[in-house]
Amino acid sequence: MNDQQLADRHFARRSRQVSRRSFNAGILAPVVGAALLPLGCRRSIRSGSASEPLNLLAWSEYVPPAVIDGFTKETGIKVSYATYSSNEEMLSKLLAGGTKYDLIQPSEYTVEALVRQSKLAPLNFDRIPNLANIAPDMLHLPYDPEQKYSVPYMSGTVGIVVNTHKVAKPVRGYRGVFRPEHRGRIVVVDDPREMVSWAMNTLGLNINEVTPQALERVKPVLANWIPLIQAFNSDSPKTPLIDGDVDLGVVFSGDAAICYQQDRKFQYVLPEEGAHRFIDNLCVPTGAPHQATAEQFINYILRPDVSRLISDKFPYTNPNLAARKLLTADQLANPASYPPTAGKLETFRDIGAMSSEVDKMVTDLRVKYGR
Amino acid sequence: MTPMPTATGLTTAGRPPGVAGWALMAPLATWLGLFVAAPLVILLAYSFCQRDALGQVVPAFSTHNYARVFDVVYLRILGSSIFYAGLTTILCGIVGYPVAYYMGRAPPRRQSRLLMLVMIPFWASFLIRTYAWMTILKENGLLNGLLYAARIIPDVLSGPMHLMYTPFAVVLGLVYSYLPFMILPIYGSVERLDGSLIEAAADLGAGPLRTFGRVILPLTWPGIAAGAMLVFVPSIGMFAVTDLMGGNRVLMVGNVIQNQFQGAGRDKPFGAALGVTLMALFAVSYLLAARSRRDRTR
Repeated sequence: MNDQQLADRHFARRSRQVSRRSFNAGILAPVVGAALLPLGCRRSIRSGSASEPLNLLAWSEYVPPAVIDGFTKETGIKVSYATYSSNEEMLSKLLAGGTKYDLIQPSEYTVEALVRQSKLAPLNFDRIPNLANIAPDMLHLPYDPEQKYSVPYMSGTVGIVVNTHKVAKPVRGYRGVFRPEHRGRIVVVDDPREMVSWAMNTLGLNINEVTPQALERVKPVLANWIPLIQAFNSDSPKTPLIDGDVDLGVVFSGDAAICYQQDRKFQYVLPEEGAHRFIDNLCVPTGAPHQATAEQFINYILRPDVSRLISDKFPYTNPNLAARKLLTADQLANPASYPPTAGKLETFRDIGAMSSEVDKMVTDLRVKYGR
Repeated sequence: MTPMPTATGLTTAGRPPGVAGWALMAPLATWLGLFVAAPLVILLAYSFCQRDALGQVVPAFSTHNYARVFDVVYLRILGSSIFYAGLTTILCGIVGYPVAYYMGRAPPRRQSRLLMLVMIPFWASFLIRTYAWMTILKENGLLNGLLYAARIIPDVLSGPMHLMYTPFAVVLGLVYSYLPFMILPIYGSVERLDGSLIEAAADLGAGPLRTFGRVILPLTWPGIAAGAMLVFVPSIGMFAVTDLMGGNRVLMVGNVIQNQFQGAGRDKPFGAALGVTLMALFAVSYLLAARSRRDRTR
C-alpha cells in the first residue's frame, strides 16, 4: 500500500468517524490548550437515513471498505467503523462508555478476558448459518469452548519480515532481529503483551505463564531491544518496511504477506524461539443496541464471496474454508498467509491482573530506553 | 469581574453586572464550566484512582500515580518534552520573524496576499500534510530520489539519508505545523509598528542593527511572546507528529499521556496524573512569569 492509499484510507475513515488521528487536527487550534483534550469524544456522524447505523469497533486495516459498502448496499444499514491498533486499546474504548458498540474484533485472549468479566453477549447462531463455512479446527477453542460468544474472523501469526536485499545474514528468530548492527532498522507492532511474549519465548519461558518473576527476567531483555527499534507501529507496520525506512520487522502476518506481494525480497520468518498465533473474532458486547444487525453483519462476513474480499485486501490466514476455495493459487502460496511449516505456535491466554504489570513495565521501559 | 470601560469613560467597577451582563456571559461561562472546569475535576479525580486488569478506572484512592510521575524516568521525559517544544519555538521564531516582518512592512495589497499564503496550508487536513512530509522524507521518497537524480547520492553522500522516525523528523513536523501560529501574532505587532520611530532612530544615529535591537525588537516583543506561547504550549503535548513522523518512540510526554488513554498503555489514572502535573507546571510558570512582569513594571 503506498502513501496515497494510506492517505485515502485515513480520509475515508475520517469521513465516517472522527478517528483518533484526524481528531488531533482539531487540537491544532492552540487556543484549546494541549492539556484539555476532550477524551473519548467519538461519535459517529449521523446520517439522514432512517435505519440506525451499526457501530463497528475493529482493528485498523482489517475490514475493507468494499465489504462495509457492500453491506450498506444490500441492507440499507450504514456502518460506522471506528478503529484500534491493539486489543488493549479496544478494551479501553469499549469500556470507556460513551459510544455503544455493536460489534468488536477481539483476539483470542481478549475474548477469554471479556467472557470472564461477562462483557460479551451470547450470539444467536440461528442468524449465523454461514458459521458452517469456518474450519472445524478454528471452533471450540479454549477461549470459547462452547462457541457461544465468538466467530473467527481471521487468523495469523506475529513473525519476522526481513528485507533480504539489505540484511544478508539469515535471520531465524528474535535473537537474529534484535542485534546491535540492526539498530535503527527495526519496526515492531506497538503492543506490550506481544513484546513480552517475544522476550519470554527467547528465554524459553511459557508465554502464558506471566508472573512477576518471569517479568523480572524479561525486563533486561527488552531493555536491550527497545533502543534498537526505530518505529512502533500497529496501524500499518508494513509501511516503514516498504518505504525502505527499516529492514526488519516483527509484524502481523497480514502485513508481511502484503510486503511479500509487493516485492519478493521481503521474506517472512516464523521465529524459531516460538511465535504467537492469533485468532481474531467477531463478538457482540453486552448491551449492544443492535445485536440482531450485528449478527446479520457476521453472517454476511462469513459468506465466501465477502470473506474473499477481505483476503484480497488483508491477506491473513482465512479460517473460512469456502472462501479459501475462491482464492488464487498465488494467494494460497504466500508463505506469510499460509505458512508451509507449522513452527512453534501458541495462542495467548488471558493473564488477568498481570496484564496491568505488563503494560506498566513496557511503558516504563519505553520511556527509559526509547531514544 | 474586570472593570469594563463604558462609553462615557467611566467604569462599572464595584457594581455587579446587570442581568444583561450575565446573559451575555452565560454561553461562555457554561462552555468553560462544562468543557474546561468539569473535565479538569474529572481528570484530577482520575489521577488519584487505580486501574483494573481490563484498563477500567477503579475508584480506590492512591497516590501511586504521582509517585510514578515523579520518578526520574518520567521527569526526564518531561525535560525532553520541554527541550523539543523549546527548540520548536526557537526555530519557529528564527524562521517566522523575518517573514512576519516582511509581511508587516509590505504594501497593504501585498500584505493580504502574503497573509493568504500563510493560511493556505490550513485548507488541507493536518493528516494529509503530515503524510505528505512522510512521502518526502522516507528512504524511497522524494528527497532521496531528488538527491539520487542529482548524483549527490552516491557521489557525495555514501547512501540515502535516514530521516524518517528520527528526532529531526519530529522537530521538522512540529515547526511546520506551528509556524503560522508564530508568524501571525508577530505580523500583528509589526503591522502596528510606527515607522516614524524607526526613522527617528536612524536620524539619531542608530545603525540598522542597533535600531533593530533597541527599537524594533522591544516594540514587537508582545507579538513574539504571544507567538512563543501559541507554539510552545501545544507542541509540548503534541502526539500525532511524534507518532507518525517519530515512529511513536517516546520523545515527548504527549505520547505517554495519549498512550495511557487511547493506546496500549491503558492506565488512565496514570495518564491523568501526568496531565495534571503538566498543567500544574504551566500554571506555576505562568504565575511566575506574571509576577516577574509585575515586578519589572513596578
